[in-house]
Amino acid sequence: MELIAMLVILAVAAGLCLIPTESDVPAPAITVLSGIAVAALAVRVALKAATGTPVVAIPNWLACDSFGALIVVLVSYIGVGTSIFSWGNMKRPAGKGGASRLRRYYCLYNLFVMSMLAVPMFTQISLVWIALELTTLTSVFLVCYDKTPEAYEAAWKYAVLTTMGAIVALFGILLLYWGMRSAGGGLFTWDGLAGVMPNIPPGILKTGFILILIGLGSKAGMAPLHSWLPDAYSQAPVPICIFLSFVETATIPYVIFRLWPGLAGPVGATTGTWLVFFGLLSAGIAAFLLIQVKDLKRLFAFSTIEHHGIILVAAGLGGTAAGYSAAYQIMTHMITKSFCFFAVGAVLLVVKDQRIASVRGLVRSFPFAGVALLLGALAVAGAPPFAVFLSEFSVLKAGLTSGQYLAVGLLVLFIAISFCAIMYHHSRMAFGRPDGPVQAPAAPISYVAPLFLTAVPMVLLWLYMPGPLNSLLRLAGATMGR
Amino acid sequence: MMNADSMTSIVTQLNALTDGLFLLSCFAMVAMRQILACLKIFIIQACLLAVSACLLGYLYATEHLFWVASITVAAKVVIIPWLLRKSISDDVYARREVSQVLNIPTSLLIALGLAIFAFALTSPLLPATAGPAKVNLPVGLAGLFIGAFVIAARREAVPEVIGILAMENGAFLAGISIAPTLSLIAELSAAFDGLVVVLVFGLLTRRIYKHVGTTMVGNLTILRED
Amino acid sequence: MTSRLLFNIVQVLVVLGFAPLVKGVLARLKERVQSRQGPSIFQPYRDLRKLFSKDEVVSDQSSWIFRAAPYVVFIAPIFVTLLIPVLTNYPLFFAFMGDMLGGGFILALGGFFAALAAVDTANPYGAMGASRTRMVGFLAEPVFMMVFFTVSFSAGSTIPYIVQENWISPFSNFFTPSHILVVLSFLMLIIAETGSIPVDNPSGHFELAMIDESKSLEYSGRGAALMKWGGYMKFFVLLCIFLNVLVTPWGLAGSQHIYDLLLAIPLVLFKMFLFLLVLVVIESSLSKLRLFRITEFLTAAFITAVAAILVGLLQI
Repeated sequence: MELIAMLVILAVAAGLCLIPTESDVPAPAITVLSGIAVAALAVRVALKAATGTPVVAIPNWLACDSFGALIVVLVSYIGVGTSIFSWGNMKRPAGKGGASRLRRYYCLYNLFVMSMLAVPMFTQISLVWIALELTTLTSVFLVCYDKTPEAYEAAWKYAVLTTMGAIVALFGILLLYWGMRSAGGGLFTWDGLAGVMPNIPPGILKTGFILILIGLGSKAGMAPLHSWLPDAYSQAPVPICIFLSFVETATIPYVIFRLWPGLAGPVGATTGTWLVFFGLLSAGIAAFLLIQVKDLKRLFAFSTIEHHGIILVAAGLGGTAAGYSAAYQIMTHMITKSFCFFAVGAVLLVVKDQRIASVRGLVRSFPFAGVALLLGALAVAGAPPFAVFLSEFSVLKAGLTSGQYLAVGLLVLFIAISFCAIMYHHSRMAFGRPDGPVQAPAAPISYVAPLFLTAVPMVLLWLYMPGPLNSLLRLAGATMGR
Repeated sequence: MMNADSMTSIVTQLNALTDGLFLLSCFAMVAMRQILACLKIFIIQACLLAVSACLLGYLYATEHLFWVASITVAAKVVIIPWLLRKSISDDVYARREVSQVLNIPTSLLIALGLAIFAFALTSPLLPATAGPAKVNLPVGLAGLFIGAFVIAARREAVPEVIGILAMENGAFLAGISIAPTLSLIAELSAAFDGLVVVLVFGLLTRRIYKHVGTTMVGNLTILRED
Repeated sequence: MTSRLLFNIVQVLVVLGFAPLVKGVLARLKERVQSRQGPSIFQPYRDLRKLFSKDEVVSDQSSWIFRAAPYVVFIAPIFVTLLIPVLTNYPLFFAFMGDMLGGGFILALGGFFAALAAVDTANPYGAMGASRTRMVGFLAEPVFMMVFFTVSFSAGSTIPYIVQENWISPFSNFFTPSHILVVLSFLMLIIAETGSIPVDNPSGHFELAMIDESKSLEYSGRGAALMKWGGYMKFFVLLCIFLNVLVTPWGLAGSQHIYDLLLAIPLVLFKMFLFLLVLVVIESSLSKLRLFRITEFLTAAFITAVAAILVGLLQI
């Protein structure tokens, strides 16, 4: 029941945001309230799922098991922070129709969150694909919110590449359906597919999987198909960057790893190798691109690509421990990345230029943003005592115990390179002498609250893991670990 | 009077013929210089997809495929071409040469290579008893690849959208043969055509044309890093 | 046995006799489409008679090739006629002397001699036309090979009589995609080989734009007549291959009875008339391509032929 309620709340909120009013308050207020309500429901779902029994709303259509619940609780938790942040960050655009543009932003925002929640809730694979398409549909016009030529260029690239990927993935999904029918399966749901997967001819299974991997990979910015991603990040409003990042490192990996349980034997070994290959490629290319990056938001875009790679490698290593580490990595990265983008938003309060070269001496001129940015950089690069360090460490440990030294060695190398690159850029931005006197504003509450909301788990997970969360991660890891 | 068996075989052959013409239309799309010609070829291709869906719907006796056919005709033959014509002024369509990255014979040979690659990729998957899927699946995959190539080779917004639609045509040409009983296949097609193409690309092209003043999306390179 | 030999000779006579008529009808149809009166359909016969009665002028700078070429051009289609089904749907006396590839070679030999002769005269337009014809020929060659492969692949034979059987039995074979695509591709090939619009304009009188015509500019009298007649017959033979082997293998004589054979003549001519209508529509609705666009035209034909063989392979 909670699942339906969550989707309905967001749909209603999206509709309410469009009601024309004079003031700019109702739309963000509705968004924050709906975000909190959805988060509360998501926690309930997660607590139920943590016991090991899936939450079923409509049998065979709408259900949520432990892995899905992890994604749901994650997106709704970050959603609370992002909705508060949007309130402060998104100003009414100048000119005629600015108010209605802002209302449309909140409407699309709610729909975007709804489509992201729908992906882990749907059990029919065709519907999952439609929900993924909905995430594109709702986010394209958020990316070009600024209506500049650059924004349209980014939105166009984003739309073209992700749609191409979606069609390729659709082809793979249809192939899997064909395989399932020929193996005598019934309903085209995750469970129905997993049940007959051992009987599907390996050729069809492999081709279908690689098509889905490449297709969804292009939507997730997987290495050779990542060119749209930094462009979109550099143009989209900051809250949207967070959700784009969520789609790339949580939603898409979720869909790819859902196919995992049935891929056993030689097919599983080959597909695992592909995941490790594409993961290392993403992490490697992102690590080297991080060195030359010139734009603050592009920096975090490349960091997202790197983490997407790490997550793919983690799942591709195989085994329950690796699955656990992948789920863990999905969670820690997403929380940390939202923290980073909130910090970027704070930086952009005083620096109107996104170029790294134009940001100097933040710790002195605007300590609130400077410290937040530095902490975020340390956390996302994987320094202790932050949660990403633990999750990356668990990935490496899982790889070493299963004896895949080459993959682990390369991964360590890429993580080290990106650590150095991220810290190099950030030390230049945080320290040094500011270019001129800067009027440091008081830190607004709409920036402090989201930063606090994400900083708590980012640090606390290092010390303490709540019981239900741990069992959620374990169950999700078991799903991925075969 | 024809017996059922020879009727089946004629329908199978007609379906294969439709697929052959479909493949040809993919090549034609690569070869066309004018945007308008490209659009017309696309309309023909969509009609061929609808014909194939009807033939297979008759062959497999499922109503889903007739839905796919009617959605295809409604969306791709009527609405989308109308929308594309409406959102961009006529002089863009009348322009003679679509600027391309490669010349046409080279493009055609690449498209041919892609078609052969699609054939090589799918032929090991097909059991001897696959029926119409034996032609639909490789031709569909070839359509998908060639559509992707069209997107890569063109610089104008409308041909790129047509390339995406051609990719989708390919995916569905294969889909109707391998998943005719998938109960949501019509919804998939409707979701794609209605939501993604009409809303995203229809609106986006229109807005780019309005705000940026050109549809040469290939020339939008402000964000390219050197 | 003797009747088969006799029938073969009848076929040759039909080709000799009706080839100018077909050309005449085509010219008349084209003029009518352009709302003009046009010449009589028997004009090619009058041209031939006139040319045969005139004196021949041969340059003393030219070699034997120039004198031999008209005979080769004239004989080549007659040889091909012996190999292909013009009137009957069963193999005749010489049918197994050569297959479709052999027929192609013989026709190409005629073209080769015509090109040599054009160069031999040292007339600049001749050499230009010859090189252009060769260019079209080189580009058409792979198309011809692909068409040939496809046809022989689906029929399991290269003898035209067997190929023609294959397309219609059973009837559903007629709709085989490889068949239709091959027909399309071969149609483009015929347009290129016979020098019709959009590849070449046969009725043009501007030497610089000529492709095919400029090769025989230097001939007069009997030589010119033979060259022309050979050209008519080549067109007729190509039409026979296209219509009787590939597109519509109906209406041919099925038995060894002489009446059947005589009945087949009007039927075949009727089919050709229908095809000429199609050709006139094509020629009137398109404009001539720029010389270097011909590459694209023939690439398209090539792609069509490859698509035909691909789809043919898939169906097995």
